[in-house]
Amino acid sequence: MAKSAPTTRYIRTPGTLGREDNSLTFRNEKGITHIPINSLKELYLLNEISLNSKLFTFLSMANITVHFFDYYGQFRGTFYPKEARVSGKVMLLQAKACLENRLPIAVAFVGAIAANIHEVLYHYFKHGNKEIKPYLDWLKKEVPDLLPKIKKVPTLLSLEGEIWRRFYETFQLILPEDFVMNHRVKRPPDNPINALVSFGNTILYTKTISQIYHTHLDQTISFLHEPSDRRFSLSLDLSEAFKPLIVFRTIFEVVNNRRIQVSKHFDKKYNYCLLNEPGRDVFITAMEERLQQVFDHGTMKRKISYLTAIKYDAYKLKKHVVEGTPFTPFLEKDRR
Amino acid sequence: MEKNYNYVILVYDIGEKRVGKVFKICKKYLVPFQKSVFRGEITPANLIKLRSELQKVIDKKVDFVALFKMTGDYVFDEEVIGVRLHNQEAMLL
Repeated sequence: MAKSAPTTRYIRTPGTLGREDNSLTFRNEKGITHIPINSLKELYLLNEISLNSKLFTFLSMANITVHFFDYYGQFRGTFYPKEARVSGKVMLLQAKACLENRLPIAVAFVGAIAANIHEVLYHYFKHGNKEIKPYLDWLKKEVPDLLPKIKKVPTLLSLEGEIWRRFYETFQLILPEDFVMNHRVKRPPDNPINALVSFGNTILYTKTISQIYHTHLDQTISFLHEPSDRRFSLSLDLSEAFKPLIVFRTIFEVVNNRRIQVSKHFDKKYNYCLLNEPGRDVFITAMEERLQQVFDHGTMKRKISYLTAIKYDAYKLKKHVVEGTPFTPFLEKDRR
Repeated sequence: MEKNYNYVILVYDIGEKRVGKVFKICKKYLVPFQKSVFRGEITPANLIKLRSELQKVIDKKVDFVALFKMTGDYVFDEEVIGVRLHNQEAMLL
């Protein structure tokens, strides 16, 4: 099968990225790689790469977002080309929706998390794992009852926390022993499964940033998460519904098929646990495949990928704040 | 109706004077495969741009450029014998 140039490139070996003949060139000890500028949308720099400002102006002209990661795989920031799609009107309406109508939108996000987790875990129930039944019932019956009764965002957030906590508890039933998670540890993760979750969430979060970039929405005004400074919190909101479908499904897949193993793919140094380079390669490849996977979309009546579905969620949100059409995030059960 | 071509294999034979220019144009859109062969995914709009850029540079009496247009990369199989240019299409570099 012939391969084609991907729209996303992950650079994980040290080297120099430069502008040459109005296109991109990456040089490392292996040689020169020409990256066609017109097929590229995003760049992930996972190692120490040399660049100069001349390149940044060029990337900005081509509307390419660049995500930076440090040596430990921590997300450090995004180079965000000058906003190509700004709309004062949408921004005002989005801010208005956040001030006046925040709760229903936030509730919709949590409802989508519960529904999508149910969808993911149901697969394991169907294949003989009966012990997760109580959690599935709770997601299916009690959570949708609880949601409309919630009056404040903090109560909603505690329910969201509860959903995730009980989700992590089910891991001991569906994952091999050395991947069981006691509790969620972040910054830095100290065991393999936490390392996978953190890395996966970060990739999804950055993917969402790139998708929101193509809409008129403002990245800093969010609904479920507190709209705070320094972070693009809208992307945290929108990526939430996709986490079970993309991040956790990828994790279950690579772990249960033994494509990632504790002994081979993790570095345990100091107090924390990191995915090493081959591990990262396996994980990124699996996740990218999942993002590109196409399916028949219920209402769109054509085939779209998960990546496009993220962008459509942003469009839906925009339509909701501008025109007041009801907003429901992407639900796995809607795909056909 | 014209088909939506999404994948291209491009080969050229260009006079020495202009070959550099053609190389520069091609590598903005496609991935180098061999010295005068490019290929890769391309959007219909970019294909029009590529074509018009090439037309400005080449001498139509002497030079030769061929575009093999395909609707996707799933319609053909590829076999390589001998050394291959190092993997230019890798997602992970």
